[in-house]
Amino acid sequence: MRRVCVRKSSVPGRKNSAYLFLAPAASILLLVLMVPIFNTLRLSFFEWTMRALTEPPTFVGFRNFRELFGSANFQESIRVTITFSLSVVAIELLLGTVLALLLEGEFKGMRLFRTLFVLPIMIAPVVVGIMWRFMYHPSYGKINYFLGFIGLGPYGWLSNPDLALRSVIIADIWQWTPFVFLLVLAGLQGVPKDVMEAATVDGTNYFQTLLYIKLPFISAVLGITAVLRLIDSFRSLVVIYNMTGGGPGVSTEIMSIHLFKTAFTSQRLGLASAVAVILLLLIAVFASVFIRNSLKEERR
Amino acid sequence: MNVRKLVSIAILLTAAAALVFSGGAAEQVEVEVDPPGGREFDWRQYEGTTLVFNFPNHVHYNAMLEAGVLEDFEALTGINVEADRMQYMNMHDAQVLEMSKPVGDYDLISMVVMWKAEYALGGMIRPLESFFDDPSLTLPDYRFDDLVPAYVEVTGIAGGENIYKDGPGAQLYGVPFGSETSFMIYRTDVFEEHGLEVPETYDELTETARYIYEEVPDTYGLTMRAASGHHATHAWLLHASPYGATVFDENWEPAFTSPESIETIEFMKKMIDYGPPGMEGFTQDEEFAAFLQGDAAIYLDASVFAGPAKDPAQSRVHDRIGFALHPRQRTPLAETGGFGIAIPENSQNAEAAFLLMQYLTLPEVEREIVLAGGAPFRMSTVEDSSLYDEYPEFEVLADQLEHANPDWRPIIPEWGEINNMLGIAINQALTGAKTPEQAMEDVYEPIRNVMIRAGYID
Repeated sequence: MRRVCVRKSSVPGRKNSAYLFLAPAASILLLVLMVPIFNTLRLSFFEWTMRALTEPPTFVGFRNFRELFGSANFQESIRVTITFSLSVVAIELLLGTVLALLLEGEFKGMRLFRTLFVLPIMIAPVVVGIMWRFMYHPSYGKINYFLGFIGLGPYGWLSNPDLALRSVIIADIWQWTPFVFLLVLAGLQGVPKDVMEAATVDGTNYFQTLLYIKLPFISAVLGITAVLRLIDSFRSLVVIYNMTGGGPGVSTEIMSIHLFKTAFTSQRLGLASAVAVILLLLIAVFASVFIRNSLKEERR
Repeated sequence: MNVRKLVSIAILLTAAAALVFSGGAAEQVEVEVDPPGGREFDWRQYEGTTLVFNFPNHVHYNAMLEAGVLEDFEALTGINVEADRMQYMNMHDAQVLEMSKPVGDYDLISMVVMWKAEYALGGMIRPLESFFDDPSLTLPDYRFDDLVPAYVEVTGIAGGENIYKDGPGAQLYGVPFGSETSFMIYRTDVFEEHGLEVPETYDELTETARYIYEEVPDTYGLTMRAASGHHATHAWLLHASPYGATVFDENWEPAFTSPESIETIEFMKKMIDYGPPGMEGFTQDEEFAAFLQGDAAIYLDASVFAGPAKDPAQSRVHDRIGFALHPRQRTPLAETGGFGIAIPENSQNAEAAFLLMQYLTLPEVEREIVLAGGAPFRMSTVEDSSLYDEYPEFEVLADQLEHANPDWRPIIPEWGEINNMLGIAINQALTGAKTPEQAMEDVYEPIRNVMIRAGYID
């Protein structure tokens, strides 16, 4: 042990040079990541309106947070955000995994099919929002048009408070299930062939292979996919904003839309920063729970 | 003289005549027309300047582009105009950010009237009196008094004791360009076929909408915007004015819980019942589409919609529409709204921008824009009976403008926040998530808190 220590210290400046090499990247990271976060945190204790950007912000202590937690619309936006995020993550994980399992084999036309299948991820969110808004349109939308053939509807998919959030969730699932599918497919292709062959020789059936080999192998992938989708869904804005603008009422007003409206409609940058801080904390809590669970799963 | 000689002479005479007449025609084309204001006014005093003009994708501004008046202005002045066209709901953020910089990129902006007081009180736009008082910048025959007075007040006057209304200390900050009032457009075929009278009151309108919904196949009553937020508030204001409801009382206390306000929402709920499916989520585009596609038989909103409604390229019903006054109930008061143009305080080319502002609102240029489908904003155009055959809506507009209410909504700087809060509550009432009374009661304290915070009330 002592010899090792001597050898380490015998390379003078090695440790320092490591810091030196890390410094540029670390300082850029600090600048572009931490400074805006600290600035947002600081601003959440101030009142600052866009109507007077040239005037200095006024310190108001915790007033912004008190106002938010006393607001029925903000409380509703937290509920909507959590419902939206947990629903889309759960359904996309399930659907994406099932599709990846169905399509992991090689057969004719599979490459083309996979390419077509991932197209929704490549479409700009604004286009996705407008496209779904048209599809859901009560008079001219395709969905009501086809339902009309079987005597159903017309439904106000985006104007009925009971349907709007579900309709938005469906649009998100359509766009992001292929993302889960791609990651899970990559994970499945990493399952060692010899293990699979050994299982086949041992006479396991499909479900046993799935439960005891494939799923344990891809659990880390599933965990990281869930975290990525969770963070992303908490920050969703463009698609929902273009579909409903947060309505009807506030039934699809997730926190990022509430934040956007607070900043740009109400023009209260301090209050909007407080929303951003709460959103960040919420994401951190949910993401850490997911990460801890997936790490536990991996260790097991 | 033989035949050949005769033919040759005839050909020569014809050619000579052709040369003479064609020359004459060419001379006629080359006659120079005096520029607006005559040759004495120096239109080229800011030659070489580049102006950035921020304006919306909107009926009137699209007509401005189609009429080619920006190109005409460039040719007349030697000033280059860069057009920055946006969706109107996105313009506010871009303008505020741009006008908050020490030096801004925008030289002329189009603003929705509800941003006027915020910009004026925030020192973001310039008072215009000094420009209009400068004879080197203003044409003697600009005819300011010809601009529709209610439009001038709603788009341009701000900054005095009354914040957004005329009164002591108020100044002129903008001029109307794309301004509007409200009137009714209806399907003449539906009304004639079913012997319906054009409604003159809200009670009659309710009954007519019900009749159309119940008796006319595949046709709904009134098309209306109602989506959560701005659109719902706009629709409420449109109908609240005749019902006698207001957002605030004379002491800035919220007044939208009044029986008149609740009655307005009850009327809107009936219109939702008799209107196209999903109307409670309609934005302005969807409101327009329902009429243009022939789904709804009545439109009651901004007057600028007359252009698209009459355009065969956009409207399936362009050849069977009539125009009528905004129905009255307790009052005959109609909307004033739309857009005005203003010069940012941080523009580096304010004088050249004023030339553009003035040029776009000149009587002859206004006429060109109107002929391309734009909205009139001069009384001389609205009252020109020689236009009524082709523009029957102007006749109605001339009468409607007598009741155009410049105090149609409280355009205080905090209006954006209140507009959104009120619009959410109204939409909740329209969708049935809350009763009208409950929705208005729930938003009473939050809006009152905004007014306390802003110092209007204690």
